[in-house]
Amino acid sequence: MATWEKSAISVPVRSSRSGERLKFLIGGLLILGAVMYLIISGTLTGASYFISVDELLSKPEYLGQTVRITGAVLGDTITYDTETLTIEFTIANVQEPYDDLALALNHAVNNPNASRIRVRVENQVMPELLQNEAQAILSGALDENGVFHASDLFLKCPSRFIEGGPSQAELSDMGA
Amino acid sequence: MLAEIGIVTLGLAFLAAIYAIIASVYGARIRSERIILTGRNASLITFPLLLLSCTALMAALLTHQYQIAYVWQVSDPSTPTFYRFTALWGSQQGSLLFWCLLMSLFTFFATLINWRRNRPLMPYFIAYCMATLAFFVGLVLFVENPFVRYWLTPDLTANSSVLAYLFIPPNAQAPEALGLAQTARGLNPLLRHFGMIIHPPMLYLGFVGFVIPFAFAMSALASGDLSTNWIKAARRWSLIAWLFLSLGLLLGGRWAYDVLGWGGYWGWDPVENAAFIPWLMGTAFLHSVMIQEKRGMLKVWNMFLVIFTFSAVIFGTFATRSGLVESVHSFAQSGIGIPMFLFWGSITIISVALVLWRWNTGRLSDERGFAGMISRESLFVLNNVVFVALALAIFWGSFGAPILSELVMNTDITLGKSYFNGVTAPLFVALYILMGIAPLSAWGATSARRLGKSMLVPIALTLITLVITFVSGTRDGGALFGYGVVIFAGYVAIYETYRGAVARRKNTGEAFPLAMIAIFGKNRRRYGGFIVHLGITVIGIGVIGSTLFQVETQRTLAVGETLELSGYTLRFDGLDMNQIAEDSRVMDIANLTLLRNGAEIARLRPRHDFFPQATGMNQMNIAGSHSTIENDFYVLLASSANDGSTVTLKVYINPLINLVWWGGIILILGTLISVAPSESVRVKERESVGSRMGAAA
Repeated sequence: MATWEKSAISVPVRSSRSGERLKFLIGGLLILGAVMYLIISGTLTGASYFISVDELLSKPEYLGQTVRITGAVLGDTITYDTETLTIEFTIANVQEPYDDLALALNHAVNNPNASRIRVRVENQVMPELLQNEAQAILSGALDENGVFHASDLFLKCPSRFIEGGPSQAELSDMGA
Repeated sequence: MLAEIGIVTLGLAFLAAIYAIIASVYGARIRSERIILTGRNASLITFPLLLLSCTALMAALLTHQYQIAYVWQVSDPSTPTFYRFTALWGSQQGSLLFWCLLMSLFTFFATLINWRRNRPLMPYFIAYCMATLAFFVGLVLFVENPFVRYWLTPDLTANSSVLAYLFIPPNAQAPEALGLAQTARGLNPLLRHFGMIIHPPMLYLGFVGFVIPFAFAMSALASGDLSTNWIKAARRWSLIAWLFLSLGLLLGGRWAYDVLGWGGYWGWDPVENAAFIPWLMGTAFLHSVMIQEKRGMLKVWNMFLVIFTFSAVIFGTFATRSGLVESVHSFAQSGIGIPMFLFWGSITIISVALVLWRWNTGRLSDERGFAGMISRESLFVLNNVVFVALALAIFWGSFGAPILSELVMNTDITLGKSYFNGVTAPLFVALYILMGIAPLSAWGATSARRLGKSMLVPIALTLITLVITFVSGTRDGGALFGYGVVIFAGYVAIYETYRGAVARRKNTGEAFPLAMIAIFGKNRRRYGGFIVHLGITVIGIGVIGSTLFQVETQRTLAVGETLELSGYTLRFDGLDMNQIAEDSRVMDIANLTLLRNGAEIARLRPRHDFFPQATGMNQMNIAGSHSTIENDFYVLLASSANDGSTVTLKVYINPLINLVWWGGIILILGTLISVAPSESVRVKERESVGSRMGAAA
């Protein structure tokens, strides 16, 4: 062994002394406690309910509380103030459960009885996916005027994920 | 024809993998060398078969075979050749096939390289690798087949979709190629980026690479050879997998920074986390494996680490590909969710049961106990505990809490960035502290006094650096603490390398640079490891700087107007509108000049791309940026007036962000050094080959 390498004790130690073992046990429990504390306190402070537009509007206790909501974007309602980078739009409640997200979003947008919320997102560059019938997932809080102030905006556009093929008509018009 | 070639080779690969499992296990049980060899050959043939299958799909993409549904979904006539290659992994089916190819590639080389050296382990090794491969090839073959083709039937109404089947249904006919070409979807715009060419393959290589250490661990349990043989065989493969996974994560961050247009590179997105969890577990394994090799300890722990690393890989793949989580990375909802979940569950349960069985028989007892609280093995165990705690905390935040709340409380709870930042920051601090102290400790036991003495120089250097940082204007206490912890770990890596070279020079009388080269040649693993630590340090500095000191602003500017930010001036010179690129995207490009102290330092061209042919996602904001070690001046074109007279710009200054990428390069370099065999090993191998040849003669 080269001299700069640290020496290892060559005599195997079969069992640790009980004092050492106790120290390891206490140390281990302290670490476990600290990690559990971090995770639990982080969960309690960082958790937010993921709810629908209906739930948000029906329960007053959600007013002013940070929640995550999901809804279908109504394309005609999107406004974008390019000076202040403020985006506003309306989302409609998506009826759950659903098998086909694209269809559920389409129904939500075209259903005049679906509950709706105005959403305001400040200081944000217009996201590419914000368009009619996109699914919006927003973190934020509802104010007394019924406007949802979102701090995080995540969008999903199911048409991008549809894996259906072309229709027979498209092919017979163009190809045949 | 290409579809037929693809389907047949895929089917043959599936059969070969199944045969390899049966022959290897049966051959090992009845000790028949001949049967084991047929199993080996069957496993080896899966690679050329899958290569042929992938080549068929690639050829179909390159030659515009739009009657193949996959080709129709991920390309169109305007897709440049370059992106036709990357379209191979542009959607679920192709990327699963590509994944299978990479897995068979790893198995192919691991089998050939380790066949002689680890002969008793190999039949079981092959069985485990092939079981995993057979599962994924089965998924491609039966659930997500990329060779499904479109067919027209005369009896369907005109508005109904075309039929999608592998083989021609009765009374059906193939559609006209021209019509299919005109309706083809084209590649998802988000994937048309340099980072996307290399990010997924690297990540997949990292993921599938962990099948090799996993299969070696399982083969040790199954064969009963529980010496360090499996550790020695698995170590280098773990390092290779880890290298690719690190590269995949770094490139993913770079892609997000360049393409997603939010000025950041890490968003605690569930899918990012799904790739980060195996990285954390794998890193813990790479450290604790040293304790088993040197001290014969932690045998059970290492088994669990390697199992849970691979389990995390499969879970991550399941989470990403099943539509389980909402993420920018998600694939479509698909039918692979349940089979993948069952595979993940069964592979984890079977592996853990195997470990417990061997543990019960007393075959996995440690050869030593811990000699003292301050020893390298204790500190390594602590490092492992922190890595695993990080992995668990991230798993809980990304998947545990949301899924459990839904199942138990019937509500859906999610944990955001505040959770991840709050929980992981203290654990990362602990990791950096351990990264600084552990290399200074000795195996067995170290006295606190001796350890303290060896820390003096790195601590002094850290303090000097902190004073300079303070004097140059950083007054934030948290940032100074963070820099201190991170820099200390880096100085230890440099100082230990320096000490190694000095000691070598003393012993041999070589010149210092020669001594430095020599120590890297003699002990690549140790000194490569220090370079990796240095890379992690540089990344840490970049993360602290770019997270704590990012500044941003937004302004609408007319031509000739400027905005000021942190000593920089940005001038809008004009807008190039409706520029058409090779792949038919339409671009609006802002021409900007960046000035500092009145002097021009860069021209920036942030742009807004529009893809007229894409459905759904059809726009992208590509940032313009000026990169230096000091910072990135990052500009997004948020919007523009119809006549191009004004633009609204969102500007970020991300201090030290480039250190994240530079640190990544250093990390990769260090890993490459560690992976390469040491001179002494090569000499030993040559000697053993020589002696074998001598004996044969």
